[in-house]
Amino acid sequence: MADKPASAAKKSSDLSLRTIILPIVAIVLLIAYFSYVNPLFFSSSNALNIGRQSSVLLMVALAGTVVILIGSIDLSVGALVTLTGILAALTVDQYGLLGATLVGVGVGALVGLVNGSLVTMLRVPSFLVTLGMLSILSGVSNQISQGQSILFTDSLLPDLVNGSFVLGVPNVIWFALIATGLLTVVAFRTKLGRYLYALGGGEIVASHAGVPVTFYKILAFMLAGAICGLAGVMLTGQVGAGTPTAGSSLLLNSIAAVVMGGTALSGGIGGPHRTFLGVLVIAILTNGMDVTEVNSFTQDIVKGFVIILAVSLTIDRSKYLFIK
Amino acid sequence: MTSQTVAVRPELPGGRPAAAALELRDITKTYPGTNALTGVGFVLRRHQMLGLVGENGAGKSTLLSIINGTVRPDSGTISINGEAVRFGHPTEAARAGVATVFQEQGLIPNIPVFENIFLGREDKFCVAGALRRKAMIAEARAVLEELEVDVSPTALTGALSFGQRQLVEIAKAFALSRVYPVEPIILLDEPTSALSDHETAKLFDGISRWRSRASFVLVSHRLSDVFATCDEVVALKDGRVVEQRSIGSIDEVGLHELIVGRQRNAEYYREALQREPSPTIALRASEIGKPGHLGGVSLELRQGEILGVAGVLGSGKSTLARVLAGAEAQGSGDVVVGSAKLRPGSRRDAIRHGIGFVPAERSVAGIIGTDTVDWNLTLPNLGQIALGLLGLISPGRSRALTLDWMRRLKVRAPGPSAACRTLSGGNQQKIVFAKWLARGVSILVLDDPGRGLDVGAKEDIYSLMREIADKGAAVLLVSDNLPELIGLSNRIMVLRDGKVSAVFEAPKDAKPREVDVVAAML
Repeated sequence: MADKPASAAKKSSDLSLRTIILPIVAIVLLIAYFSYVNPLFFSSSNALNIGRQSSVLLMVALAGTVVILIGSIDLSVGALVTLTGILAALTVDQYGLLGATLVGVGVGALVGLVNGSLVTMLRVPSFLVTLGMLSILSGVSNQISQGQSILFTDSLLPDLVNGSFVLGVPNVIWFALIATGLLTVVAFRTKLGRYLYALGGGEIVASHAGVPVTFYKILAFMLAGAICGLAGVMLTGQVGAGTPTAGSSLLLNSIAAVVMGGTALSGGIGGPHRTFLGVLVIAILTNGMDVTEVNSFTQDIVKGFVIILAVSLTIDRSKYLFIK
Repeated sequence: MTSQTVAVRPELPGGRPAAAALELRDITKTYPGTNALTGVGFVLRRHQMLGLVGENGAGKSTLLSIINGTVRPDSGTISINGEAVRFGHPTEAARAGVATVFQEQGLIPNIPVFENIFLGREDKFCVAGALRRKAMIAEARAVLEELEVDVSPTALTGALSFGQRQLVEIAKAFALSRVYPVEPIILLDEPTSALSDHETAKLFDGISRWRSRASFVLVSHRLSDVFATCDEVVALKDGRVVEQRSIGSIDEVGLHELIVGRQRNAEYYREALQREPSPTIALRASEIGKPGHLGGVSLELRQGEILGVAGVLGSGKSTLARVLAGAEAQGSGDVVVGSAKLRPGSRRDAIRHGIGFVPAERSVAGIIGTDTVDWNLTLPNLGQIALGLLGLISPGRSRALTLDWMRRLKVRAPGPSAACRTLSGGNQQKIVFAKWLARGVSILVLDDPGRGLDVGAKEDIYSLMREIADKGAAVLLVSDNLPELIGLSNRIMVLRDGKVSAVFEAPKDAKPREVDVVAAML
C-alpha cells in the first residue's frame, strides 16, 4: 500500500510540473532561436507587436478554456467573435461605445445560453451543438454583412483599443491581461471556478455534493460567449471595421493554445493562467516565423507539428481508457 | 500446444465418474501490494458445472482471467484434458476451447450476430482476403439452431434483449468448438445478474441441454443459481480456496458461511462503543417505491443510531440508499426529515436538510481524482472558506480546514494539495467522509463504505462511524459485508426483492446470528 501511492504521486507531480514547465521552456527556446536568426525579433517594439497580434486570440482562448474545463468544447468561438464584431461595427455609430459593447457581450452570452441549453437539456454533445452553431453564426454574419466589411465613423472605439494610456503599452494588451487575471481569480477563488473544475473532473461527484450541474454548465457556455462578444468588439476596434472573415483563424489557434498550455480536453485540469502561456507560445511562433520570413504555407506546417508535439508531451493519458 | 482431440481418461480412483476437463494447481498471482491469488487449485470434471463463489475481491475475476489467458499467473499450472497448458494470449485459450461469457457483455452491439460469433476467427472463412459472408451466416445459423437459440444470425446484436445476447455469447463459445476441434470449457461470469427470472430460467434450461457437450464454470453472487445448476462448488476467500464441495453436501447457509469465512470480531467493530440511540427520529421514509427496484419500504432512523440494511445483489438496498440521499428519485413515497418532505432526487435539498452521502463507487462518485485533497474536501463546504464582500475563497482557510480534518481522521497524504488519485483507497474514503463531517451533517447515508479497503483502513472507517453515531448523528449503513453490518448496527433491516423481509435488533450484547440474517436475505 505504501509504495504504490508514493510512486503514483511522483508520477502525477512530474506530469503537472511538465505541463507548466514545457510551455515556458518552449517560449525561451523560441525567443532564443528567433533572436539569433533575426536580432530585430528581440526588441520591445516587436514584443508589443506580439502582444497586439495575440490579444484577441488570448481572449478567445480564455473563453475556450472555460468550456474545456468542464469537459465540453465550444467550436463556435471564432464565428461568434466575427458576428459580434460585425454587430459592434453596425451599432457603434448609433449607440456609442457602451451600447456596441453591450450588444457584443449580450449577443455572445445569448449564444452561449443557447449552446449550453442544447447541451444540457437536449443532451446533444457540445462538439455537435457548437459545430452547428459555428455554421449558423457564420451564415448570419455573411447575411448581415453581405460579405462586405462594415465600416463606421466612431473614433472612440478604435482609439480606446489601439491607444496606449499606461506605460506605452497598447490598451488592447491591457484588456487581455486584465481578463486573464480576472478569470484566474474566478477559477481559483470563487465558487463558480471550483464548480467548473469539479464538473470537468467528476460530474457525478459534483452532483452528489449538491452542485446544480445544469445551471453551472449553461453558465460556463454563457461566460465563454460573453468573453467572445467582448473579443469581437475589441477586434472591430483594432481593425477599424467589422469583417466577415475576421474570426476564421481564431478557433484552431485558440484550441491549440488552450491544449498547449496544459488544459486537458477531458476537463478538470489546467486553467486560464495555463492558457496565457499557451497563447504566448503560438504568438511567438507565429510572429517569429513572420520576422524570419518563413512563408505562410510553411508556417502552417510548422505550427501543425508543434501542436502535435506539444500535446503528445503534455496530455494526461491516465484519464483516457482508449485513445481514439 | 494443446491436444486437438478430446481425451477421455480412465476413471479416477475413488469411483469419480468423469475425467478432469480443467484442472488448476497451486495458482498464485501477486499484484503490487496485494496477493490476488495464493495457491489456488480446483478440478472441473467433464460435462459438469462448477460454481465459483466468494465476496467482492475474493479473487474470482482474477482467476477467470487467468483461465482464459488474459492474465498470466506468477506460478502454478493449468491443465486442460490432462495436458498442461500455458496461455500467453486469450486467443490461445480460445484455441484450447476456453470461452468466457462476460458480466459486462463482450459483444459488439453495432454488428450482426454472426459477425460477433466469429469475431477474431474470420480467417476460417477467408478466401483471398474476402470474407465468405454466406458461409459465416450458415455456420452461425447451424450453431444457433443446434443450441435451440431463437435468434437470427443476421439480426443486429444491439437490437437483441440482454438475455438473448447472453445466449449468443454462449453460442459463440460453442461455435469455437466447430472451428477448433475441441470441446468447449465455458466460463460464465455473473451471467444472470441482469436477467429477469424468466430469462434466467431460459438460460439455465439451455445450459442443461448443452451439458453433454461442454463443461462449465459459473461465477455467481446468486447462491440460488449455484444450487440450481452446479455439481460442485468452490468457495474463494481472500485469494485462497476455502473448500471444494459437492453441491449435495452443503446448503445455502453453510455455503454463505464458507464465503464469509471469518468469525465476527467484537473488537474489530468496536462493539463496546455501541450506544443506545436517542428516541428522536432523524429521518423517516414511508412506502418508498421504485418500479423494478423497491416495492414500498418504510423506515425510521433515529439520532445516534446505526441502521444496517442487508440484502443480496438486486435486493434494492443500494437504490434505497440513493433515494434517501436524494441521489436518485423514487417513484412513490416520501422521505421526511424533521417536518420537511424532501424533494425526490435532489441532492441539494437533502444536503440542505443535513444528509451526507458516501456512495459505493468511490472513484466515480466519491472523489475527483484530478483535484487536490482540499478541493475535494471543500467542494460542499465552500461557504465556510469564503471571505469578504466578494465572497472570495480563502486558500488559507481551505488549507486549515483540510489539515484539521486530515488530522482528525488520520488521513495519510503528502498534504492538502496532493492530487486525490494518488491516495490509497482508505485515505480517499476518509476524504469522502470528511467532506460531510466538515459540513456538520446530522444524517449520513453510507453505501458499502468498506468496499475494496484493506483491513486497517476498514478498522479506521469503523471507528469513525462509531464516533459519528456517538455524537448523535444518524447513520444508514448499506453493506454486502454481513459481519460488518452485524457488528456495527443497532438494528438490521433485511431487504428481499425490494421489500423488507425482516428486522433484527442488534444491541451490543445480543447480536443476531449471521445464519438468521442470511435466511431472511435468501
